[in-house]
Amino acid sequence: MGTNKGKTMPIFSFLAYPEKNMKDQLIRDLSHMDYCEVKASENQDVLILLTDTPDEETNKDLIAAIKEIKSLQSLSMTFGHTDL
Amino acid sequence: MEKPDYKPQHKIGKLFLLFAMMGVIALPIIVFKAFSVSTGEALATANKAPSLDFDHNAGQLFGTYNTTTAAYMEGNSTARTLNYYYSLRQYPGSPPFVPHDSVVEKGVEQTCLSCHEKGGFVQAFDRFSPVTPHPQHTYCGQCHMKTVTQDLFRENDWTSVQVPKLGRSALAGSPPPIAHALQMRENCIACHVGPGTVVPIRVEHPMRGNCRQCHVPEETKSLFSRDDRG
Amino acid sequence: MTITRREFIRAMALKSAAVAAATMFPGISFAGWNPTDLPADSIVWSKTPCRFCGTGCGLLVGVSGQRAVAVKGDPNCSVNKGLCCIKGYHSIQILYGKDRFTTAYVRKNGKMVPTPIEEALDIVAEQMKASIEKNGKDSVSIYGSGQWSIPDGYAASKFFKGCIGTNNVEANARLCMASAVTGCLTSFGLDEPMGCYEDIDNADVFITWGNNMAEMHPVLFSRMLANRKSKTDVRIIDLTTRSTRSSLAADKSILFKPQSDLAIANAICYEIVKNNWVNQDFVANHVSFHKGKTNIGYGTEDHFAFSDKAETVDFEAFKIFLADYTPEAAEKISGVSAEDIKYLAALYGDPDKRVTSFWTMGMNQHTRGTWINNLVYNIHLLTGKISTPGNSPFSLTGQPSACGTVREVGTLTHKLPHGVVMNEENRKMAAKIWGVPETNIDPKPTYHTVEMFRALDRGDINFMWIQVTNPMVTMPNLKRYREGAQKDGRFIVVSEIYPTPTSDVADVILPSALWVEREGFFGNSERRTQHNDQLVPKPGEAMCNTWQLIQVARRMGFEKQFPWKEETYIEDIWNEYIKFHDSPKHRMASYKVLKERSGVQWPFVDGKETRWRYNGKYDPACKDDTWDFYGKPDHRAWVWLRPYEPAAESPDTEYPFWLNTGRVLEHWHTGSMTRRIPILHKAVPESYVEINPEDAKILGVVTGSKVKISSRRGAIVMKASINGRGNPPEGMVFVPFFDESYLINEVTLDAFCPISKQPDYKKCAVKLEKV
Repeated sequence: MGTNKGKTMPIFSFLAYPEKNMKDQLIRDLSHMDYCEVKASENQDVLILLTDTPDEETNKDLIAAIKEIKSLQSLSMTFGHTDL
Repeated sequence: MEKPDYKPQHKIGKLFLLFAMMGVIALPIIVFKAFSVSTGEALATANKAPSLDFDHNAGQLFGTYNTTTAAYMEGNSTARTLNYYYSLRQYPGSPPFVPHDSVVEKGVEQTCLSCHEKGGFVQAFDRFSPVTPHPQHTYCGQCHMKTVTQDLFRENDWTSVQVPKLGRSALAGSPPPIAHALQMRENCIACHVGPGTVVPIRVEHPMRGNCRQCHVPEETKSLFSRDDRG
Repeated sequence: MTITRREFIRAMALKSAAVAAATMFPGISFAGWNPTDLPADSIVWSKTPCRFCGTGCGLLVGVSGQRAVAVKGDPNCSVNKGLCCIKGYHSIQILYGKDRFTTAYVRKNGKMVPTPIEEALDIVAEQMKASIEKNGKDSVSIYGSGQWSIPDGYAASKFFKGCIGTNNVEANARLCMASAVTGCLTSFGLDEPMGCYEDIDNADVFITWGNNMAEMHPVLFSRMLANRKSKTDVRIIDLTTRSTRSSLAADKSILFKPQSDLAIANAICYEIVKNNWVNQDFVANHVSFHKGKTNIGYGTEDHFAFSDKAETVDFEAFKIFLADYTPEAAEKISGVSAEDIKYLAALYGDPDKRVTSFWTMGMNQHTRGTWINNLVYNIHLLTGKISTPGNSPFSLTGQPSACGTVREVGTLTHKLPHGVVMNEENRKMAAKIWGVPETNIDPKPTYHTVEMFRALDRGDINFMWIQVTNPMVTMPNLKRYREGAQKDGRFIVVSEIYPTPTSDVADVILPSALWVEREGFFGNSERRTQHNDQLVPKPGEAMCNTWQLIQVARRMGFEKQFPWKEETYIEDIWNEYIKFHDSPKHRMASYKVLKERSGVQWPFVDGKETRWRYNGKYDPACKDDTWDFYGKPDHRAWVWLRPYEPAAESPDTEYPFWLNTGRVLEHWHTGSMTRRIPILHKAVPESYVEINPEDAKILGVVTGSKVKISSRRGAIVMKASINGRGNPPEGMVFVPFFDESYLINEVTLDAFCPISKQPDYKKCAVKLEKV
């Protein structure tokens, strides 16, 4: 385990809404990203996205990268935790 | 001088006396019998008849279930709300005050029970009447009265407990326990069934009849523990 | 299993997202993932019979995230049509009590040590082997239950009777239904009611004989109330020794003195004969008359033995016998007015009224239980009111599968799945189906339940395996049997789910699976078998009772008789079991049909349920289209001349009160399950003694006062309840037996019906003192 110096372990969960007709693409795009776990709904156009990064800076970079994904329409944060 | 012959009158006199005596004896017996049950019968009843005032007066509910019509059970007017219900009471379970003037029909003041025993639509107030769970107590004014003013004599800081919560089912969809004490409120149908009921506590399945087969009171708050064994 | 902090936070994150998603999109589902608090629409519903009473309601249990979370009534089940009672609605909470047994325990130096179940099973098998070697096959025994699933009972019977070769197989249904069984067998030659629950929808008059249906069979009671409400002329008459909730709902409640039901039933027959209400045609063609022994004793001594002798008589002899039971004579015995007896007789005698009689423990737990069952059948036979819709002498069962398991599989000392051990043909059939030599099956019955516990006390039995029952609370005259079970040289194995006074005396405790944690079958009062799949995983090492028996049987060398695989053994057992019943009189439905439907009645012949037996219009086993009581060699129902005989121990000057025991709606038997359901415990947290208000005044007690109840056998101090749930008449007290802190059976008497061997829990003599 070691020390957590500087490692604040931000963990967030979101509902991720795809652009129209791009749900499968969004699943693929998000699954390929590091620190991301995706759970797709079987019967609605929404995904659950879990991000689990080692520190604040990695988390910021990750969020920026996610925002670039063309198949993503919007994100709604449902949980946020950071060790302080 | 010859004595008058009293014999016939004597006979009549004796007969009359006999009749009179029989009357004296018989009359009380007749009167007694007319105004009382035969003692033998009375004793027998006293010895054998069980007291029916047990199990929180469950008999009342079964009787009401039998006499309530299906049409009444399906009544679903939405006029009475829980807020209005509690606004008539000082604390949960207190006797509500009378929120309306007395009803006079054809010059005759109606008794409370004429509307509140069986419920139904009341023209004078243009709504359905709630039903009392205790119609056997007929001196209504002993506990229920009209408010004639909202002004207080002196201020007070009266507060009471929270009203019973709704939706206390243990599992999704399971029958909730009885949220109130049963004394004076044993007749479920009076308050939970029919058009005059408060909407949030109206029951969707009134035709089932034996309410306490699924809904039980809460006699204690603590849970079972084997270590409490005596 | 520990969960790291990180995993915990991740789980919280996922759950938050799931809840938000479900709020916005009701009915949303996520592939392959089921966190336990998904909203209500993630529930999967599956059918099962209810775990509790003999009504046998069909439930739908809702499972989400591998936990049982909700219950609905099964609308497809004809028994209850979507309605349950408070016990049924909360039944799944019994899976989750905190002190649930999840591993086996073995007694070492007086302490119960947690032990892996495989090791515990080894110990059980070793002890059985040792006992058999040292003291013979009849030194081992099994005591099962009317709450056994059908495969449990079948495995037990095959193991003990077929493989080991001992008839020391008994079940707690001996204490609840034995008199109903012997009543059926003596009157009709075959067991179980001839009517069905549809009688409730068709009858005009209901007479309950000493049972509190509003609390004990509440869903059937509601059906009765609904019938009465829907028609103008339906009457419910409550014939009872104590006023109950049922009395309050009835049109008329008639109190009678305990045991005098015998006189009342005979007086009703007297009136029927006197007023020419006899259905002469029916009696001439379908009834024969018989009498048995009288002065038959009460069974309180060890080794008490009795066998009845039937003598054929005729209708004239019956009329002469009835002359002793005029309504006036019955009034003297029973305290019921002659007028009320005539009223009852008029209801039975009215040819236009369909009459259903219901009874349970008032008539069965009775030192003349067989006789009173016969006598109520007599009333229906004299009037021909039997086996047609609404005309029904209906014995209600107490337990969920006393019929399905104990009576139909035959887990009693003298029974086999088909027939009895005494009959060579029946032994041959069992040996063939079981794959054991004929000589294995012992033709001589050994002990009924009370005698079996006496044998354990005496040392004639050294090993007892107890499954799904709590005899250390329920045996009458309890002290003797509890002390007996704890003597040296007795090895007690208990298969249980929670700690109880019975598991307290065990040498080995095996953790059992509850009914929806394993596949199984129950059979209810109206001959309806119901199947359930396994719906949730078993906790820890808990093991289904059937599999426990199979595991021990294999360890004792009987792999051949118990070859089945764990994935299919329940189905395999069902297929083997139903071979025993393959005749139009008893055919059972196939596994496939039972899996699909919410219960199937037997006889199930050519795809149809036989709803009314012995009537050719409804029963294909009859020889023509009228009544045919094919259970008897003369194809007639037997009317028995049974007299009134007093109770084993009546109140006297020293012990002036009757002690009556029974249940309440909220609690099941000894409470080991229902007390761990919060809503039920909170409704009735503690047991009490009901005292009549007049008696209470004399004693100087109010509700809550402590009262000492003593009999010749024991004493107990309890709190009084006056005008509580029920109201006993003067001279009687009533104690519900659900509370293990108040072992009321230390006070009761182990007298029983000499024919059925069922003890009488309703009558013994006690005195009361305020403490």
